[in-house]
Amino acid sequence: MFVRRITRAAAPVLGLAAVLVLGACGSDGGTEDTGSSGDSGSSGAATAETLRIGIMSEEGNLTPHTYATGFPGLNLTMLSYDSLMQIDENGEPQPWLAETVEGSADGLTYTLGLADGVTWHDGEPLTAEDVTFSVDYYKAGPPGRFATAMGNVSQAVAQDESTVVLTLATPDPSFQIRVLADVPILPQHIWSGIADPDLAPFDETTNVGSGPYRLVESDPGVSYSFEAYPEYFRGEPKVDELVVVQFADEAGATAALRSGEIDTMMRSISPEQIDVLRGTGTLDVIEAPEYTTTLLVFNTAVPPFDQAEFRQAVALAVDRQRLVDDVFLGAAVVGNAGWVHPDSPWYVDSVETVYDPEAAAELLDEIGLTDSDSDGVRELGGAPLSFELLVASNNALRMRLAELIGEQLAEVGIDVEVSSVEMQTLDDAVWPGYDVNLGRNYDMAMWGWSAPSQADIGQMASLVASDPAIGNLNVTGYSDPETDALAVQLDTELDPAARQQVANQLQQRIAEEVPFVSLLHPNGAYGYNPDVFGDWVSITGTGPMTKLSFIPDDGQP
Amino acid sequence: MTAPVITESTPEPANVLRRSRVSRDRTRVLGVVGGVIVLVLVTVAVLAPVLAPYDPTERAGVPFSPPSADHLLGTNDVGQDLLSELIYGTRVSLTVGIVAAAAAMVIGTIVGLIGGYLPRLGAVAMRGVDVVLILPFLPLLIVLAAYLGRSIVNTVIIIAILIWAPTARVIRSQVLSLAKRDYIVAARSMGAGHGYVIWRHVLPKTLLLAIGEFVAATSGAILLESSLSFLGLGDPLQESWGSTLYWAQARGAFLTPAWKWWVLPPGLLIMLSALGFALLGYALEQRINPRLRRS
Repeated sequence: MFVRRITRAAAPVLGLAAVLVLGACGSDGGTEDTGSSGDSGSSGAATAETLRIGIMSEEGNLTPHTYATGFPGLNLTMLSYDSLMQIDENGEPQPWLAETVEGSADGLTYTLGLADGVTWHDGEPLTAEDVTFSVDYYKAGPPGRFATAMGNVSQAVAQDESTVVLTLATPDPSFQIRVLADVPILPQHIWSGIADPDLAPFDETTNVGSGPYRLVESDPGVSYSFEAYPEYFRGEPKVDELVVVQFADEAGATAALRSGEIDTMMRSISPEQIDVLRGTGTLDVIEAPEYTTTLLVFNTAVPPFDQAEFRQAVALAVDRQRLVDDVFLGAAVVGNAGWVHPDSPWYVDSVETVYDPEAAAELLDEIGLTDSDSDGVRELGGAPLSFELLVASNNALRMRLAELIGEQLAEVGIDVEVSSVEMQTLDDAVWPGYDVNLGRNYDMAMWGWSAPSQADIGQMASLVASDPAIGNLNVTGYSDPETDALAVQLDTELDPAARQQVANQLQQRIAEEVPFVSLLHPNGAYGYNPDVFGDWVSITGTGPMTKLSFIPDDGQP
Repeated sequence: MTAPVITESTPEPANVLRRSRVSRDRTRVLGVVGGVIVLVLVTVAVLAPVLAPYDPTERAGVPFSPPSADHLLGTNDVGQDLLSELIYGTRVSLTVGIVAAAAAMVIGTIVGLIGGYLPRLGAVAMRGVDVVLILPFLPLLIVLAAYLGRSIVNTVIIIAILIWAPTARVIRSQVLSLAKRDYIVAARSMGAGHGYVIWRHVLPKTLLLAIGEFVAATSGAILLESSLSFLGLGDPLQESWGSTLYWAQARGAFLTPAWKWWVLPPGLLIMLSALGFALLGYALEQRINPRLRRS
């Protein structure tokens, strides 16, 4: 099936390749396998004419309002759009469209000076008016994913052509990373005419952004073509053309990668494929730790999970290293008891992650959960200590993790029955309506949060605060006054040093109280053909599949 | 395995070609082959704990290891012994196949009896059969599996729901012919109730037929269970042959040399078991089914 898709996608490739040959005669960066003949130069890995990328999800129209998935959808969308700030290699927000970012001492006003000479893909200049328009559009226009982020911005004023002042309703220490470095800026002259983005027919004239790439061909469900925008304000992108082809599944895309039909995939390959791809001789794998989390969550409202000692015992009984070695073949980072990824700047190494089944058994004995009838399973009030562990059936690795955790907990006398259910069923049980106010209905579940939940330390509060306004990701229903106090501080403290202190204390508290068990962080592993393009720029915790990989060295944030 | 020959003679069209002795012998040979295959598989299933070198849930070796002296078929993605998994998988696959086929046989026989014996109600029942027969098979299977959720019980139910209809048809035609026999008409005229006639005269004469259908249906049920499990719609945590294939697919064995020991053996076993039951069912049907029975 993918052969047909490649063929359909190849038509624009051929046309464009011809244009590029005319325009860039004698250029030495190129690939020999675009299907066209005669343009095969020596293969340069730092630049490329065409890079063909496989994706495995339906992405719809790639605009800030209509993209479908966080990854790769938003990453693809951000190839053609920019935000006011940009995350750098270390995950820190840096000036981008806004050359200067000045926050007032009370954290309520941000004055942004826009960079000079930024133009939209159709040649119009990007001005302060575009920024204020974008804020208003996200806030008052059709509901979209960025409405929440903009909710805290009470006012956006264009002081002059290139200066914008944003006023916040409440101070937000994570404002730069959560909003400025996340929300794409829209061109007023195009989007003022779009009342309903879901119905608008996006085409070459309306797919206009300010990013390094211009979306020239869009056939949702089949393929997309991006063309480098030579006037890009951070320098001409390293790859002239990106062709994004959709595949039905990972197996198909991997086969296409091996046979050379695509050059890379915007999907982390599974651990067992890493050595296989490296063994082909033509392909390589870029492996980098990612912030994506894999958690064991439990409903802390039901006994015995309401007891911190019991939760501690569960955490002590889980051998995280074994999970990493056996299921991920080592291609993962052991989860930290205090939630934060070891590569994060917020990580404190004083928080210990311990595996000690004997201590777990002792703890269980102490709180009166003993195996009185010697059948290997402890009892709680006469009934065997037995729980259902839910796992999404579309995630093979997590199912294996669940099986192993079941075995490990059985060793300390906790009986676990693993149930594989549809993803929707799991969501309905753990996070019904994606709103923690609606409660929860499960014992234990395999869960995970995406990378942004780690990249922004402020999100740590949302995992544990009992107030749903702050704890909007508190799917374990965890409630503890001391933790709440720390969460509120983390959410409001503006002074970086003091905030670091609060973050440290909160990690310590999470490690002691175990509102969930952070199991591991799977490493990102992306297969690619180094002969075509290999100059990846990896963001700590987020990986190489962002626009940074295509921005020249002197243009990096 | 030898079925008693039904005694009363069925009216046959006169111009039917009489089968040669050779062909009957071939049927018998096929039946014996099928019987042996089934017998071997059942033995393996029963003796699984004795035959399997490891506990299939135990992580006995290094994940993804190729065949060796310790692990004749290598290990899977979490280091479980594949040979042991296949041996234990025989239990799950055969059990699901046999239970689902038995359930289908019960439903089919009841519907067939009603359809053949009670003309009014039967007409309605047989339209139900028609509906089930024309339903697109695999899509319905997938929708049902996704809707009911994954468990081995649901797998059995889904398969049974989908395969009972042909049995109902065969039984009905037999009952239709039986119900017009003189002795049944006589019994009825002497005041025997429907229940008595069905229980005493009709059911015994159709049971044999139902058993033949059952054996043939088992073959289909095993295949269906494997397809469901392979698609991940069964219970992936049950060690059946289909779920071994599911894990092989999920962990990329189809793209690596591991297919030789991870994909091929369960595939062959599924084929073999389906073949065994199909051959046995075919041979039995040739002996039992009045429409097929010649000479």
